[in-house]
Amino acid sequence: MGERVTGLGAVVSRDDATEPVWGPVHQDMVDLLADHPADVPAVVEHLTELQNLLVRLPPLMESCPLADFNRLYLVITSSVLDGLYADRFIDPIFMSRLDVEFAARYFDALRLWSDRSPGTPKAWACLFERMCGPDARPLPSAAAGVNAHINFDLPFALVTTFAHLESEPVDGSDQHHDYLEINKIFADKIPDLRRGYLDRWQLLIDMLNGNIDDWYQGELIGYTRDVAWRNAQRIWRCRHDPHRHERERKRLDDAAAALGRLLLSPLGAFLQ
Amino acid sequence: MASDVDGTPLVGRAELLATVCSALLDEAAGNTAAVFLTGESGVGKTRLLHEVGERLRDGDALVLTGSCLDIGDASPLHPLRQALRRLDADLAPPAAASVRALLAVFTEEATDPDGAGALLERVSRGLSVIAAGRRVVLVLDDLQWIDRTSRQLLLYLLAGLGDLQLSVLAAVRSESLQGAHPLRRVLTELRRLRSVRVFDLAPLDRAATEQLAAAVVRRPLASEAAEQLWRRSGGNPFVVEELSRDLRDGRDGLSDTLREVFLARVDALPGPARRAVHAVAAGVEPVEHWLLAQVVGLPEHDLLDAVRAAVSHRLLVGSDDGYRLRHRLVAEVLTDELLPAERAVLHRRYAEALASASGELHQARLAHHWRLAGEPERALPAALAAAQEAERLYGYAEAHRHWSVAVELTEGLPDVDRAALLGHAAEAAHHCGEYARALSLLEELAGTGSDLPACELYIRRARYLAAAGRSALAEAEYQHALQAADCTPRQRATAAARLAELLLHLGRYADAGQRAREALALAEGVDGATTEVVLASMALGFSEAYRQDPDAGLAVLRRALATAERAGRPEDVALAYLHLAELLTGPLNILEEGVVVARRGAERVAELGLGRSYGTRLLAIAANGLFRVGQWSEAEKVVSAALRHRPSGADAVELLLARCRLSVGYGDTEAADRDLDAAATMLAGGGARHVIPLLTLRAGLAMWQGRHDLARHTVQRGLTETRSDDLVILAVLVWHGLRAEAEAHAGRTVAVDDTAVRRLREIADRVARKSERAARPVRDVVDGYLALCAAEVSRLDGADPELWARAAAEWDRRNHPYPAAYSRLRQAEALLSRRRQTATAGKLLRQAYQTAQGLGAVPLAEEIATLAGRARIGLAERAVDAAPPAGTGGDELAALTPREREVLAAVAEGLTNKEIGQRLFISERTIGVHVSHIFDKLHVRTRVQASAIFLRSRR
Repeated sequence: MGERVTGLGAVVSRDDATEPVWGPVHQDMVDLLADHPADVPAVVEHLTELQNLLVRLPPLMESCPLADFNRLYLVITSSVLDGLYADRFIDPIFMSRLDVEFAARYFDALRLWSDRSPGTPKAWACLFERMCGPDARPLPSAAAGVNAHINFDLPFALVTTFAHLESEPVDGSDQHHDYLEINKIFADKIPDLRRGYLDRWQLLIDMLNGNIDDWYQGELIGYTRDVAWRNAQRIWRCRHDPHRHERERKRLDDAAAALGRLLLSPLGAFLQ
Repeated sequence: MASDVDGTPLVGRAELLATVCSALLDEAAGNTAAVFLTGESGVGKTRLLHEVGERLRDGDALVLTGSCLDIGDASPLHPLRQALRRLDADLAPPAAASVRALLAVFTEEATDPDGAGALLERVSRGLSVIAAGRRVVLVLDDLQWIDRTSRQLLLYLLAGLGDLQLSVLAAVRSESLQGAHPLRRVLTELRRLRSVRVFDLAPLDRAATEQLAAAVVRRPLASEAAEQLWRRSGGNPFVVEELSRDLRDGRDGLSDTLREVFLARVDALPGPARRAVHAVAAGVEPVEHWLLAQVVGLPEHDLLDAVRAAVSHRLLVGSDDGYRLRHRLVAEVLTDELLPAERAVLHRRYAEALASASGELHQARLAHHWRLAGEPERALPAALAAAQEAERLYGYAEAHRHWSVAVELTEGLPDVDRAALLGHAAEAAHHCGEYARALSLLEELAGTGSDLPACELYIRRARYLAAAGRSALAEAEYQHALQAADCTPRQRATAAARLAELLLHLGRYADAGQRAREALALAEGVDGATTEVVLASMALGFSEAYRQDPDAGLAVLRRALATAERAGRPEDVALAYLHLAELLTGPLNILEEGVVVARRGAERVAELGLGRSYGTRLLAIAANGLFRVGQWSEAEKVVSAALRHRPSGADAVELLLARCRLSVGYGDTEAADRDLDAAATMLAGGGARHVIPLLTLRAGLAMWQGRHDLARHTVQRGLTETRSDDLVILAVLVWHGLRAEAEAHAGRTVAVDDTAVRRLREIADRVARKSERAARPVRDVVDGYLALCAAEVSRLDGADPELWARAAAEWDRRNHPYPAAYSRLRQAEALLSRRRQTATAGKLLRQAYQTAQGLGAVPLAEEIATLAGRARIGLAERAVDAAPPAGTGGDELAALTPREREVLAAVAEGLTNKEIGQRLFISERTIGVHVSHIFDKLHVRTRVQASAIFLRSRR
């Protein structure tokens, strides 16, 4: 292990290994990530191809922790796509843009990680680090990914989407309604995911927060997503101020990373 | 020491340097090109920009360099203005005249109603003059801080709308792109274009790191030192260079982090030099020498010594226009090194120096320094001036920020009209899309106890809410305004007219009509309420059209036009023409007359001085109408005429798409691609409304190229981004999607995607269901496309000629020859494949071929010819028979369009307008329009005279 002086002195550990980040599928990953999908059908395709690569990643192969998250994310995104075709949302332009922006942040994190960039969000890095083992259980792995994606990526994806559509994050708007509709998609999928997934994760967080009454069955994602919406409104207000925006970004990254590390710690194994 | 500062070689970037230069010059070949460099701090973006700039400067390109600023008070278009000032300083006075002329544009008051667009156009014209035929290379550093106006300018120029051979090279700090930066979207869209490259600048590899270190240290590094340097720098050239320098000077190992490296250097400086460094850090870069002298307060000689020391310690760099810190990273190190009181003193000195200097006052900068100096009452006037300046340049985001700062500054200040400031701030927020902020400022304004009338407050609130898409709340506010006791008759008319417009957009036609009538009655009693009359007439006209009384609606808008002409306010006249043309070519589908109105309107508004803004929009309507009635060459002329106005924004996109539609029809792939790329460039800055038309065209183009999977994908994107109540758009997309599958099936290019087909059919069914409840004009269009959809589906399992015959009939009825001809081709194909009615098929093919040829629709004509060839059906000989009698008319008829010749031939036969209308499937009214046009062009006044010319020309 070496260390690297970056920015103003944060010392980041860095593998000296000449071994490529993604092992035998490195070139395939780099090629895949060179593309930037611009619509929801393309995002679903992208996630599908990504899944095929991740399960070929030694040493963990099928039980790659990132594959556990990616599998879940693919299910959710496919459901969003079906919903778009099936006239489920009031403002599909918003939903499509949001979905693409949301996914772009996950792909960005993967790209940064491929370059061994110190800029990889910490929220994601804590999951990526576990790809070479030790084996984490699928539940906490998926949960750590969901955590990074919702607690860190989602607020920024919301802000970019609203800014691009020249609209605003307003409670009770059509967009807010559609945004909440995603919670139902999570809930629909939960019977599949439940087998120990969410209710246990929920239990863990309940324990940590000592506030069990706040959540009940199936409400957890709804709760986190609500936090993401509020955070988006916060960032919205300071989006023209690079310094405050950067402070918010660091704050969210740190918070998500802390929760992510916890999920991947031995304590998180309790979830399974 | 100077050699130490500048002499570091550029390591590890030779290949990239060459690629970038070639992308900007050679590959651009007459078009625009852009290269974006992304990379982390210190990775060498600025250095690379510099090297490329130097290299291109040696050629015959005009290189302009500027940087964007991160301080919140930068003025709009700062990077360009900075670049021009630098150029101005470099040029001899005669050559600098054109630069000065352009710089003057930024300080002038503009009067054009399409102000923001006109500004872009004037800037690009100014750049053309300066460039004098050379390529302009715009080199922009720190693009992550670009202001909105500059961003729009950049996209406008890159879309080729400025008629400027432009290459853009810009550096973006990749850390900034994380999070919610607006450039993220822009780059995602732009990177798909052929003319745009995005390079991610990676850190150096180990060999290059050692090479760079050796160059700095002036000898190869020992292996242990090299190893340590590699580990600590991670190949970041800035870090490599600084660490190597410490290594060379024997300071190695003292400092572990970059922060410590730089702090050690600051500590090593003599006192005056340290003061100079801190002063520059508190200033706005570049800090001019005279300014630094006043802020630091050193005698000339001592200041020079101080600056020299800071430069040699690699903390400052000096250039012709002033001093800056060597790197952003240095600025970050220095941020916390001063006490707040020390910093305030520096800002005060800056403000005093700037205020006492002669020449143009930089208000934004002055406000910035006074504010940070803790002097609100002195900052306030500067903030106000900065806000006004930003508004003059349509930088509403910047203006909003300045107004907000001004509002904050007034906190605790006596004798300030806070309400006025809040009003300005709210309006600027509304203009830059900060709707929630605009509303909360308005609330604050209402709470100040100002004497703003309640009615006006309601109207403004309603306006902001409507813009934010919160229609129900907006409606309620307009109702309040109408009921407010202090409402003047004029305000009442305004509120009613705007409410009618809102209801129209919500599709509540009956309510809209009622409100519009009320508004008209109210406006009648008020002198000068023409704007309200025009707006209310529009709402009434459209709502009547949707409620099946087109004649009444049309009459209302005609009256509104007459009223506007009498009153004489140019904008009212222009809007009346616009609405009338939209009504005719839109819901009423009276295309020929709509085109005539639009073209006449364009001429009229040009006389009134509104050619650029409204004239362009009217011509776009004319062009789209002409396309649909099949007068493509005429449409092409109209588009070119409109583009000569150099429109920007949505108008430009509209025209580019109109031209692209023609190119797709003509089969001119290259021109179509170019316009699609240009439109996509503009849309990268926002504008969801035009994305679907763009996708439809892309799918249509892909289809002619046999790229059915691309067409499929494009349609899928469109379907996932369309609201379910946009029935027409959905119907068009579904037709394209089904056509792509049917043609993939027929041509065996790609496998048919059964899931896609199933989804398309489901959506088609949904559209059909919903259209039953839609207004008649909408249902008519949707039916046309659904007929095509049903017929395309049949192609997947044994084509049904009957369905195609129905589709052809639908489009004939609507008087759109292009889809009608396409349907005939498919009908004939279906008949031939069943080996039935070969004679009918031949007739259909000849008819379709004739239409396609008349339009100039090359790919369609080719496909018809191919099918005819396969079926041994002759197209040519009979086509002559079937040609309209006047098709080869003499010179006297040269001015007439093919359609007008058809009408004239019928007139000469002695038919009435009604009979001609029945024969040609167009309305009697439209025939009247044609006839009056024919009379104009032939300079005659009667049908007999016209017939005489026609008969003479046939001899």
